[in-house]
Amino acid sequence: MSTVSSARPAVALYWPVQARRNIGVRSLFVVVLAFLIAYGFLFPGLFSASGFAKFTQSWFPLALVAMAQAILMLTGGISLAIGATVSLGAVIAATTMAGPLGVTGGAAAVALTGLGIGAATGFIVVRLRLPAIVVTLAGSFIIGGAALLILPRPGGAIPEWLSDLLAGDTPTAFVLLIVIVLLWKLYLATPLGLSLYAAGENPVGAYRSGVPVDAARVAAYAISGLLSTGAGLFVAAQTGSGDPVIGAAFTLNSIAAAVLGGIGFLGGQGTMRGALAGSLLLSLMISVMFFLGFTPVAQYVAQGLIIIGAVAIPQFRKVQQ
Amino acid sequence: MAVLSSRPFLTVAIVAAVWIAASFASRGFGAYGHLRYLVELGAVIGLVAAGQTFVVIAGGIDLSVAAIVTVSAISLPLLSWQADPTGLAPVLVVLALTTIIGLVNGLGVALLRVHPMIMTLAMATFLQGLLIIIAGGSAVTAENPLVHWLGNARPAGIPAGVLLWVAVSVIVLTVMHATPFGARIFAMGANPLAAALSGVPVTSTTLAVYGISGFTSGLAGVLVLGMNGQGYVGIGDPYLLASIAAVVLGGTSILGGLGTYAGTIPGAILLVTITALITVVNASPGWRSILFGSLILGLLLLSGREQARR
Repeated sequence: MSTVSSARPAVALYWPVQARRNIGVRSLFVVVLAFLIAYGFLFPGLFSASGFAKFTQSWFPLALVAMAQAILMLTGGISLAIGATVSLGAVIAATTMAGPLGVTGGAAAVALTGLGIGAATGFIVVRLRLPAIVVTLAGSFIIGGAALLILPRPGGAIPEWLSDLLAGDTPTAFVLLIVIVLLWKLYLATPLGLSLYAAGENPVGAYRSGVPVDAARVAAYAISGLLSTGAGLFVAAQTGSGDPVIGAAFTLNSIAAAVLGGIGFLGGQGTMRGALAGSLLLSLMISVMFFLGFTPVAQYVAQGLIIIGAVAIPQFRKVQQ
Repeated sequence: MAVLSSRPFLTVAIVAAVWIAASFASRGFGAYGHLRYLVELGAVIGLVAAGQTFVVIAGGIDLSVAAIVTVSAISLPLLSWQADPTGLAPVLVVLALTTIIGLVNGLGVALLRVHPMIMTLAMATFLQGLLIIIAGGSAVTAENPLVHWLGNARPAGIPAGVLLWVAVSVIVLTVMHATPFGARIFAMGANPLAAALSGVPVTSTTLAVYGISGFTSGLAGVLVLGMNGQGYVGIGDPYLLASIAAVVLGGTSILGGLGTYAGTIPGAILLVTITALITVVNASPGWRSILFGSLILGLLLLSGREQARR
């Protein structure tokens, strides 16, 4: 199978394939770039080290949940429990890290919880054949309830050095994001990662070709859970404490970022770089509204309008062509 | 035998089993007054789920129902006409408003081709912001005689809300199963392309379906306002999951094209029964939320599995 002669064309094919995948998101990249430049002009602080660090920190959790949602949507699934999972990750981090478990133990607890919740959700959706929307909606109650049990009201603590490291004046968040993207590239090269797109685009055909469809989908749910609780840990580090409902807004925002980034609802359509660009665009919009002095309530209204507009306009153009 | 294996019947059987078991386990649960109260609460979910059933069968989903219920329950007290002693006019205005909100959802889905989930979630976000701007954090009290009657009157011993639910159910079932419009909805949900090619007016049917959902959610908001006496931001929140769960528990496929409101009705009663049982247990909010989610998941395993497509 893997002789030198068959490996050569594969390498030669890599860049054309990447270029073709970029076609769908090229216009999005242009919009994001334009927004970034405009943002840089409005708030020149972006180009200082600490300004850049703060900006990437406000983007980071949204980028993680966008990835968490995008993985699921690529396999044809969806999660309405992302927000609750983020909250759970935040309260676990805030209650364990300052305690006897320490930062390492706390981070491990957060990661294991995320993987466990994700795998359980995936098992229920994939093996028990229940609709993902309803399972994750019911799951959001269970997960949110668990977060309330662990920490009934905002509290807990994150060690100060960790908050400084993750949410201080250093661009640690950006470095972490790059590492996560590299890990994602690596995952796509594993058998499970290769099966991801196939399982989403044509599950029956993929199954008949010997692709481990069920395993790929359950793994996607597990990774999605891990990314969500990871985002929760980061949010807890940002605020220095835990809050059982802090993640609520992330459910809609994760779906919006993924859809803005060109991920389709039917599975197998879209790319992770698109989802990341979508989350960056959303994060830029939120920051600009914040700096322009919108109240949080007006932000809700504007966000609803922007999301519909951003999703509708490209569709509308497609229909007219 | 066909009746015994049908999904609506299965859901009715589960409700009956839970009621019998619960009335043995807890005194007072099986009392007529308590069961009547359960059905009264179920009416609100049933009304929201009526529109949701239409939308889901047509192949969509409406995640803005909770926000629309709140819009209805908050904007109604703000409208009061001294000239209208019956209180009918404000109710009609509010219902028209919520229907228009639903129609806007339909416009986004049908003409702009926004995915229903995005369109209705964004609508919910938009409405949530608007509501806080309009009503602030405070509760508003309704002084509308018609709304008060709807929430509290008991003609012939039956709560007015339940009577309203019965009337809506009859209309919904007739429209769904005995009119060309109903047939078009099923066709659209099963295969939108085939439906469009066979002459189903997809755009106007989609508009109508989301409009109906806005209307029934508005009606549920009026009822919940009458039962509560006050409207506040967040009053409709429990009804999003409840409406979808009632639809799915009643055997309607979340993928569209398959189902009936006859299953949603016992589904709604099942949900209030679960909530009542959880309240009896007297647990902390966290445990209550966990129990609610787990019971819904368990019931889904029992009756909500996706059936194999023909």
